Amino acid sequence: MKLYEYNAFELSEMIKSKKISSKELTESVLERKDEVDGKVEAYLNFDREGALAAAERADRLISAGGVKSRLAGIPIGIKDNISTAGIATTCASKMLENYVPVFNATVIDKLSAAGCVISGKLNMDEFAMGSSTENSYFKTTKNPFDLSCVPGGSSGGSAAAVSCGEAVIALGSDTGGSIRQPASLCGVVGLKPTYGSVSRYGLVAFASSLDQIGPIGRCVKDVALLQDEIQGHDKMDATSADRSYASLYDNLSEDISGLKIGIPSEYYGKGVKPEVAEAVTSAVKELEKRGAKAVPISLPSTEYALSAYYIIACAEASSNLARFDGVKYGYRAKDCDGLIDMYERTRSEGFGREVKRRIMLGTFVLSSGYFDAYYKKAKLLQKRIAKEFEDAFKTVDVIVTPTSPSEAFKIGERISDPLAMYAADICTVTVNIAGLPALSIPCGYSSSGLPYGMQIIGRKFDEQTVLNLALAHENAFGGFRRPKL
Amino acid sequence: MNIDIKHIAKLSRLRIDDSELAGYEKEMNDIIAMVESMPDIKDELTVDPQNVMALRPDEEIGEKIPRDEILKNAPKVVAGCVVVPKTVD
Repeated sequence: MKLYEYNAFELSEMIKSKKISSKELTESVLERKDEVDGKVEAYLNFDREGALAAAERADRLISAGGVKSRLAGIPIGIKDNISTAGIATTCASKMLENYVPVFNATVIDKLSAAGCVISGKLNMDEFAMGSSTENSYFKTTKNPFDLSCVPGGSSGGSAAAVSCGEAVIALGSDTGGSIRQPASLCGVVGLKPTYGSVSRYGLVAFASSLDQIGPIGRCVKDVALLQDEIQGHDKMDATSADRSYASLYDNLSEDISGLKIGIPSEYYGKGVKPEVAEAVTSAVKELEKRGAKAVPISLPSTEYALSAYYIIACAEASSNLARFDGVKYGYRAKDCDGLIDMYERTRSEGFGREVKRRIMLGTFVLSSGYFDAYYKKAKLLQKRIAKEFEDAFKTVDVIVTPTSPSEAFKIGERISDPLAMYAADICTVTVNIAGLPALSIPCGYSSSGLPYGMQIIGRKFDEQTVLNLALAHENAFGGFRRPKL
Repeated sequence: MNIDIKHIAKLSRLRIDDSELAGYEKEMNDIIAMVESMPDIKDELTVDPQNVMALRPDEEIGEKIPRDEILKNAPKVVAGCVVVPKTVD
């Protein structure tokens, strides 16, 4: 078995006991990247020298006893909308093609302090808008299980890199399912943490009230390890929750006896492929054999969630992306005739089609005469959806649903039909709307070998119960299945 | 619903080619048709007292980033200043 094939928690022990060095591990990941990235195209920017230098630094620190983190010396891939000082952060957009941040996101500072090795920046849908990574200005990442299929999105590069061994673990961001849906499609584990538990400082904003950075790994333990490292209050993020956080990894337990699992009928019917619903249902049956109890519940406003999500997300995007005007950083159109001409041409040439449509949709729903009919209604629905979850959690401990309504779809299949693309998010958007934690974990495979994902939703700040149930499922179902590349 | 794409694009500081107007119009109308299904809720938007944002204290930032480093990202710089097209004759 090659080093890149091990999980982070195993590598952590190997580094700690001096069986391997961070440099050896990083070289193994580099070799794997050279071997498969030509096919998968997960990375946008792979900093070979930087990664090796960071690995050597980590080795020195570990030898001197200077770092205590379990992730010391472990290479991590970073989604390209998370600011990395001195390393280009493009958001997969022509607009930021040459943008090099002068500061680190808080999560990057935390990982650097922990002695982690940043292996490079990973592909995504432009400004995190999309569900297939086809909206990247630079390249389309492929699904490692079938190179003719999408890896999901928007964190498609992160999920694909972890799946095929080009990264041991990775960070993604999730606004409406952008960690969980690609994790589901690439057969890995992805956690969207509770809103406010991970600092958004340095995450290029799409929809600030919904965005959340989170971990992707090949097993539950790796996801817990990475979440332990990045969670915590940050005064640089006004929405960061000021509370204490216990170690999720240390408190992992597969004892789920007496745990009540809510099964909302709305997530298993219309729009969800029967094979996916069956895979999730049989996984729940296995969990019942291990002491959990399935309880039918109802979340009646689910059918409106996608509408509310797209209104809120686009409204916030139209405001957040106003900063890209060609003045201080980013792309600027050539030979402009005045300031307004510069703004309009810069933005029209710098943004891709999906981004432009979402900015216009957001502008429309916030415009005079339409605010009450769309934005206000969506915000009121958000309140109702959150209340329905709150009520459900009075009788159940977690809620289990499919993550994506189907397995990975073909590249190009949905790109010209926005509504078909948006349907990929029907099971995931409610979680962001309500600010809850949720995780996706493999629970089955299609006849052609493509992974299905199961989503476990928890109470606010109760990532522990979510991860414990995921661990019990992982042990019952079997761990990560490596794609054949 | 008829969405005036040219007007919305102007408000968004975007310029849409005539050849693309019909495509955007159809996509936007499809999306608006989807969101029209949202039910009416008789309620008002209020601030949630449980989730009031604690704003950052107004304190001086200790670590300063050098001007030259910041200006490296600017599209056009002259004498340490960001240059934009002339706005006043």
